[in-house]
Amino acid sequence: MTETVNGVAFLALAFATIGGAVMMLATRNVVHAAFWLLEVLIATAGLYLLLSAEFLALVQVLVYAGSVTVLVIFTVMITLRRREDAVRPFEPGWGGAIMAALFGGSITFAIAQFTSKMPAGTFPEKTPDVAAFGEKLFTTWMVPFEIASLVLLVALVGAVWWSGGDGQ
Amino acid sequence: MTGLHLLIPEYLLLAGAIAALFIERVSGREGAGAALGAVVALAAAIAAVVIGAQGAIAGGMLALDAVAVTVRVAIAALTAVYLLWLVGRGMGPERSREAVAFVLFAALGSMLMASARDLIVLFISLELATMPAYVLMGYRRNDERNLEGALKYFLLSMTTSLILLYGLSFLFGIAGSTSLVAIAAAPPAGLLGTFASVFVFIGLFAKMSAAPFHFWAPDAYAGAPAGSVAFVSTVPKLAGTAVMVNLATALVPHAPVLPAVLALAAVTSMLLGNLAAFPQTDIRRLMAYSGVAHTGYVLLALSSATPAGYAAAVFYTIAYVVPSMAITLIAAEEGTALDDLAGLVVRRPAVAWGSVVLLLSLVGVPPMAGMLGKLFAFTAAVSAGRLALVIVAVVMSVVSAGYYFRILRPIFFASRSDAPVLASSRSAAVAFSLLVAATLALGIAASPLLSYLGVRFF
Repeated sequence: MTETVNGVAFLALAFATIGGAVMMLATRNVVHAAFWLLEVLIATAGLYLLLSAEFLALVQVLVYAGSVTVLVIFTVMITLRRREDAVRPFEPGWGGAIMAALFGGSITFAIAQFTSKMPAGTFPEKTPDVAAFGEKLFTTWMVPFEIASLVLLVALVGAVWWSGGDGQ
Repeated sequence: MTGLHLLIPEYLLLAGAIAALFIERVSGREGAGAALGAVVALAAAIAAVVIGAQGAIAGGMLALDAVAVTVRVAIAALTAVYLLWLVGRGMGPERSREAVAFVLFAALGSMLMASARDLIVLFISLELATMPAYVLMGYRRNDERNLEGALKYFLLSMTTSLILLYGLSFLFGIAGSTSLVAIAAAPPAGLLGTFASVFVFIGLFAKMSAAPFHFWAPDAYAGAPAGSVAFVSTVPKLAGTAVMVNLATALVPHAPVLPAVLALAAVTSMLLGNLAAFPQTDIRRLMAYSGVAHTGYVLLALSSATPAGYAAAVFYTIAYVVPSMAITLIAAEEGTALDDLAGLVVRRPAVAWGSVVLLLSLVGVPPMAGMLGKLFAFTAAVSAGRLALVIVAVVMSVVSAGYYFRILRPIFFASRSDAPVLASSRSAAVAFSLLVAATLALGIAASPLLSYLGVRFF
């Protein structure tokens, strides 16, 4: 039963991921492309969740879907003067086609060649969950974790300094 | 997780950094942040002395051994002196309280770097030490040339961080652990170990501005306010030397070629730094090349791969950053071109004669600290069989006198009518006197310091 559910969920997520990627490339509007990218990233987070990688899914949503996409949209907002500029014509060229063929070919070759040589993985009976990860993070790795928070604090103060106006 | 209370110096710096951002608003006095920072850094230095060597703490993530303690105290004390200078002179047209916070954060990162015994702690504290430096290098936020220098520094520093991280990731792969103790104990991994170690050290060479990875330093320093350069080009280097000592101790068994790599970088740095310093007319550029040369002497001591060599490297770094900071502070007060120093002996005789002491120490004339530093470094290298390198080093030390005396020439033999009138500042004068006094006193303190580091030379 669970196998079928997983299979259906995987197919749905795979379709969402690949379909979203194709749509992102196919759309003429930069803003639409950014939103399709968001959709791809969230669907990938779903795939991670399906593999019981809860923390990775969380990070994927927070960092990629959250910050990276927002950054892309901000960049588009700041650099585009007019609404019409967001729409770009599609200009396929031989260079792009050759690059795509080379990349696709090498990936296909690598998968076909090396998959059989890899040792068969076993799915662990119980995957470590977010609670176990948190325990590790706040015991063994507490010192680097706290230092990382200081790095962020410095970055924040620095950003405020550089973006601050004159004579304040 | 034990021993976290031994990090009191770090906590003091952190509290000071955060308080410095706000205290001027509360007290309403200009320079209160810098004064607070200086007091806190001094307290951190005293606390670090009192705590002393303690072995591994925080589950082996950090260790307070003799090298770490020495470097921690040196970083905190030098930061205190720098902030004392900042109380009197400030950061030029910009307000200084953010600078105080950045300086304290950088000192905090440097102190953690010196005691790091884990690759992750090492890398993240390295970032904590360099992140404030980016902002300090571009502190005049309305000056485009300044921001250009900061951007160059940022991009190259990030690239070298990645090279370092690449090497560190292979070390993790070899040992299956990020702990330096485990890496040192892991069986030698042959070519992969060599590859990883060389990558790690190339990253560190670039951070320490050792040739041939020094090219960013002159441009970045020349674009930055001299007051920032005085801190960024000195204090983090203390931590850099400590990291190189720790990593060399752990990695030489994995990469027998490492001492030779260090020696190669040493000879390149000594030759290139000293010769390229000659044509410079900007004090910041000149001190950047002089820094490359001095890193060469530090690497020469490290290349012996013996405890004596490591101790000599630590001592040499302390002996060279103190006068180097003082000279750059003069440039921050008087102007950054060599000609700006013209007639300094008439205007400020004490500073002029103080700079004679500083420059003689940088050349390596007895009885100043620099001479002893060179003596220890050369002794360690000779006993490791690097006689040819030492001959190059001695010749280059003599050559270096040429460009250091180029700084003295305008001070004593030129006059300037349009000199800026500096308000007299007691705290800046005290800071400068402390640096000159330390340059003299380190020579006397050398023997006890080295015996603390577990080495006897003579």
